[in-house]
Amino acid sequence: MTEAMMRPLTQLVNLQSPLSLSQYISEGGYQGASKALHEYSPKQVLDLVSSSGLKGRGGAGFPTGMKWSCVPMFEDDDDKAPEFKYLVANADEMEPGTFKDRYLLEGVPHQLVESMIIGAYTMAANRGYIFLRGEYHLAAKRLQQAIDEAYQNNWLGKNIQGSNFSFDLYVHTSAGRYICGEETALINALEGRRAIPRAKPPFPQMSGLFGKPTVVNNVETLSNLPHILKHGAEWFKALSPDSDPGTKIYAACGRVKTPGLWELPMGTTIREILYQHAGGMADGLKLRGLLPGGASTDFLLPEHLDTPMDFDSISKAGSRLGTGGLIVLDDKSCPVAMVLNLIKFFAQESCGWCTPCRDGTPWAVEVLTRIENGSGRKEDLDTLHNLCDFMWLGKTHCALAPGAVEPLKSALRYFIDDFEQHIDHGCCSYKQSINQQTKLKGHCHG
Amino acid sequence: MGDKEMASSQKVTVYIDDIAYQVSKDNNLLAGVLSQKLNLPYFCWHPSMGSVGACRQCAVTQYQDENDTRGRLVMACMTPVRDGMRIGLQDNSAEKFREQVISAMMTNHPHDCPVCAEGGECHLQDMTVMTGHGSRDYQGSKRTFNNQNLGELVGHEMNRCIACYRCTRFYNDYAGGKDFGVYGSRNQVYFGRQKDGTLESEFSGNLVEVCPTGVFTNKVFSAHYTRKWDLQSVPSVCAHCSVGCNTSIGERYGSVRRVMNRYNSELNGYFLCDRGRYGIGFVNGDQRIKKAQGISQQSAEQLSRLDVSKALAHFRGKRFIGIGSARASLEANVYLKKIVGEGNFSAGYNHQQMEVASTQQKLLQQAQSSGKILSLSDIEKCDFILVIGEDITKSSPRVALSIRQACRNAGIDKAAVMGVASWQDSAVRTISGKLNTPFFSMHTTATKLDELTEQYLLLTPDEIEEMVLVLTNAIYSLINEDFNNEHEKQLAKLSTRQQLFISSLTTKLMAAKTPLIITGDSLSSAKILAAIEKLTHCLAQEKLTTKLNLVVLSAASNSFGLLSLLDKTSLSTEQILSQLSAKEVAGVICLEQELAAFTDDELAMIRESVETIIVLDHTHSRVSEFADIVFPVAAVSEGNGHYVNYQGRVQRYNQVHAPQLPILDSWKWLALIEESFESSIMPTAILRKNKLEPINNLTQLHRYFAESLSTWPLSNKESNKEAIKAVDKNTANNQPVARMTTRASGRTSQAANYAIHEAKVTQDQELLYSFSMEGNKPNTNNAMPFTWAPGWNSNESINHYQVDIEGPLINDIEKDDYLSFVHSLIGFTPDGEEKVEKENSTLVYFPQGSLFKGEWQSANTAEFKLLTHEPDKHFTIYLSNTSAERQGWGNGQWLKIITENVTHIGRLRCDENLPDHLAYGDINELANKNTGVSITLAEAKQSEVLLQQENRQGLYQQAKDSQEKVLQGLKELDQHIPIRFVAGGLDEA
Repeated sequence: MTEAMMRPLTQLVNLQSPLSLSQYISEGGYQGASKALHEYSPKQVLDLVSSSGLKGRGGAGFPTGMKWSCVPMFEDDDDKAPEFKYLVANADEMEPGTFKDRYLLEGVPHQLVESMIIGAYTMAANRGYIFLRGEYHLAAKRLQQAIDEAYQNNWLGKNIQGSNFSFDLYVHTSAGRYICGEETALINALEGRRAIPRAKPPFPQMSGLFGKPTVVNNVETLSNLPHILKHGAEWFKALSPDSDPGTKIYAACGRVKTPGLWELPMGTTIREILYQHAGGMADGLKLRGLLPGGASTDFLLPEHLDTPMDFDSISKAGSRLGTGGLIVLDDKSCPVAMVLNLIKFFAQESCGWCTPCRDGTPWAVEVLTRIENGSGRKEDLDTLHNLCDFMWLGKTHCALAPGAVEPLKSALRYFIDDFEQHIDHGCCSYKQSINQQTKLKGHCHG
Repeated sequence: MGDKEMASSQKVTVYIDDIAYQVSKDNNLLAGVLSQKLNLPYFCWHPSMGSVGACRQCAVTQYQDENDTRGRLVMACMTPVRDGMRIGLQDNSAEKFREQVISAMMTNHPHDCPVCAEGGECHLQDMTVMTGHGSRDYQGSKRTFNNQNLGELVGHEMNRCIACYRCTRFYNDYAGGKDFGVYGSRNQVYFGRQKDGTLESEFSGNLVEVCPTGVFTNKVFSAHYTRKWDLQSVPSVCAHCSVGCNTSIGERYGSVRRVMNRYNSELNGYFLCDRGRYGIGFVNGDQRIKKAQGISQQSAEQLSRLDVSKALAHFRGKRFIGIGSARASLEANVYLKKIVGEGNFSAGYNHQQMEVASTQQKLLQQAQSSGKILSLSDIEKCDFILVIGEDITKSSPRVALSIRQACRNAGIDKAAVMGVASWQDSAVRTISGKLNTPFFSMHTTATKLDELTEQYLLLTPDEIEEMVLVLTNAIYSLINEDFNNEHEKQLAKLSTRQQLFISSLTTKLMAAKTPLIITGDSLSSAKILAAIEKLTHCLAQEKLTTKLNLVVLSAASNSFGLLSLLDKTSLSTEQILSQLSAKEVAGVICLEQELAAFTDDELAMIRESVETIIVLDHTHSRVSEFADIVFPVAAVSEGNGHYVNYQGRVQRYNQVHAPQLPILDSWKWLALIEESFESSIMPTAILRKNKLEPINNLTQLHRYFAESLSTWPLSNKESNKEAIKAVDKNTANNQPVARMTTRASGRTSQAANYAIHEAKVTQDQELLYSFSMEGNKPNTNNAMPFTWAPGWNSNESINHYQVDIEGPLINDIEKDDYLSFVHSLIGFTPDGEEKVEKENSTLVYFPQGSLFKGEWQSANTAEFKLLTHEPDKHFTIYLSNTSAERQGWGNGQWLKIITENVTHIGRLRCDENLPDHLAYGDINELANKNTGVSITLAEAKQSEVLLQQENRQGLYQQAKDSQEKVLQGLKELDQHIPIRFVAGGLDEA
């Protein structure tokens, strides 16, 4: 395989100056869309994507083909057909530790436009929205430029490239709320309502945006489509023969030598990402633990370094692949402070709809704050365990709170000594000697 | 639920804690569990608003099968009922989770119980106890909020909020309100207005009942507060429009404190309008008539029956004219008519109103011949609505709330096709989008319901009549081509917009399965009603649609009762004047009448022409001013009687306490008048000795009517089953129902500042309810004084007394009586032109309805007077864009609105839907004739504007002082509680 075929998602990324439409085409762009429109029926594209085994890259890992197959399809003359069907790209990347979508949006915006054409064609959607995190100003500008170019060259609008298919695409910049990353809250936000998730069923494919059939996919997921169309399902699977198919953009942040992101075959081990690509821990620091896929995943320990980064393996190790961005904890940073920082974020971002998340996350913040600054008590650990139980899956309206307690409950399992250290002695053990000199109970920002 | 609903409500087997129950498939699991009278806590679910799954309080464990011991937690309100499902209600993990939910809410909930108005009937208190939460784990501090001033009626204390979202779901989603909502996020969500100000919705008072904590409280009740358990309550009926919503009035120490909703599955359901909830304030008003006038008393402290007899003896055998009233009870009106005799009875309606009444009678006859007139719960199920000539949101607001629900039916049906149950509130609303049930409206003013219509027109009454006739022809022409020509000609005369209206309306009406036409008498147009009669006749005859339903609304609580008494011999006000001028009449008896149809000059004329004017009323008016004799009458909370609602449904209202003498029911005064006119009054003792039964209660009164009148409408039914049961009070089962709760305190010591001896309990002559906590439980029959169940101190306790959630009450075995309109018609046919001149050049103005001023009794409520004269508001007049532009005026222009007699100042707003010759606004003083008024407009000078604002400020201050005075008076009264021993007549105190 050529380099291009091994790193399909990022191969054309140019952050300084992303490819214009004609440049993109000359590098092989829009061939996938062309193939879909001219050589495949929507059903055939659906079968292709299903057989490729593509799974969602937004954190949940749901098989994309299966998600699309639930969209009701109608004959042309069926008057029960809804006036609109929507394909929405979830570009509201706000999971802490995740910046892969930004890389793609700023670096190769046309790839997403092409992807959406293919996706919309498959589900017979006539309108698409890119729901973009409002802070991504540059991406917004570049996406709009790409869309304008596409319209000018008949890749969007009516009868795309001479086919029967018409598709309008818009960029919608959000006002900034983590919960909008939840697909039904995103849909509510697009409608101009409060960004509160919806109960399912009914699923968005049946009743989504404005009550019409809607599919919401992550940017990275969609970006695979042109390549699957161009090279086929078998190629896609061959990219990572022992694991989930395709490539994944992995990232690493924290006190590593070279934080960043890298497109690698699905199933690359944590060790390889951390030591080969991120350069290992910064000088003088040792690995304590890590969150494999963004802030809302469970801690893993150095003993898990050889776990392949795919959905099943990480799940078996007790965590979640999530967005595949490692957040690394070193031995001179306080796990309690880290978890407190994360839970503060989730408490802030709670939409306020359901009781466990709305009132439970700030409660956890209150307890962790006291533990972290040295006024914690033994009973507080019981409270924290209860809160983890209280905010678990099925008990809340969406997955924000369960995600919020994943780092907390795994920290209680793996770093319980640090918590007890804080309760008994007021701060982390590595800080204790310093503080004993100054006789202060200080914050453990490390 | 209608009968059709009952049949289709299938029951399936659900195992709850391993016991099999029969549960309805039509509702969610929470409703199913509650229908079994099991205790499952909840907050955000509401029977009328459905489920959203926000609070997570109703969690239960669901098991796969008998072998599954672990199960998983589900929210009962979001779970459909399936045959064979297995639920753990009292299982450990569910109970623990439910307790954790309360614990989480308590992290911010303040310890306000001792000072919170909700305490003692607080749903949060009940659910906290139910989950067993008792000790506080949270160590942190609580978030606090600023409160808002939301007006005179609803108090705001946001710290207590548990974010169940019920308030915004009711105010915005259910009732269509716009000026309230939820703001912010996470644990700082805030429910209120964008900024302080009076809540604009006519249903804002329901926030008080819908809120499970004390965030929204009844501000008026809070000003003169008492705990629910100390209240003495009684089942009553709202006295302020023709719907007859069921209420529960609460009093303590002799003064009325508040009105709560009394659940009625067919009428008001769980909600009241603000007029019904707060309009009771007039009972405590400073204009109440508390003493008789014009009668010399033997004893200064007490008026006796003999005093009355002596005062009236002079008029024995003379001719009297009796003017009955649509707001007086059925009994009082019947009695008055009996006393004055046929040919002397009037409804106080002028000729125009009599024509309207006549047509109304015919319409009602027609409507009733094809079945029962729709109740509100039926209205909510209609799939087509046409409103003709009514602003329902202002005249009969509770009906408007039901129309809003009916508008959702198209969307609900669409969701059902997709497999989404109607109780999945969020999903149904998403799927519905902007899809509304076909709804059309024609009226002289814009209304709040217009936003839900497919099309609406603003027209004069004559134009409305014309449109109805055109519609009728359109329908005829559908079946019979002969009508096409005529129809084309009529259409050609209409504007494009009107043509479109007719064609859309016709199509949608023909396609409907349960169409509804709602009209009323607020425009006083017999022509419109006659045209509607032709329309309904056409539809019935041609069998074009399944049964067309017609609802005719009227202004007052007993309009229909009064209507049933009018016949060919009934007098119009013009006829009264002509008879009086012929000097044939000795006197006039005015029963609870403001005599709105008479001008001041005409009243003066009446004064000149008769020997005596006898007035019976509860509040002073210009009528009581010019009377010779005034009898103080019991208001709705102080007396007993029946009102007949717009369906003909006869409903009983009961007294919550025995008012201070000499206040008596109207019918009791009329009984005295009758006795005085016929013979001298015999003391009660002699009556008893001669075994002549005095009439002490309604049962005896009805028996008397049945014996002496051929037309007493309730005689051929066992109408007083409750009373008959109660009469036989020796049987233990038939004890009266207690008005007070078992926890009521202070009764024995309430007069301790006078004497330490416990005052004897007042005897209720009506025998249905007792004035103490002794007696049968409140739920003995379906007319409950208050609602309570063990562990459920709030109004949510009603769940325990319904067969199934949102269905009929358990004890609802005996259906209400209905009056039918088959006999005694006035028999007018509308003739001649209506009094409004139609000059093309003048502008005709119609007043919009008013919630606070629209009904005379409630308009005397202190808070309503304040709300009518809010100083930062002003009058508004609406004109068409062209009319305004022609004069060079724009939105906000201050104008003088000039009529023959009076000039007002208001601000202009343009309404693009108005034709050029029509104007409307909120100046209700220009509404004497209930028909249009010709006006001219001119620009107002700044000085004139300022003067008007000052006047307004003055009126507001007056109203504020009045409110203060009333409140002080009530608090004073608490120190001097009047105790009557018998709630009977004058000599039985």
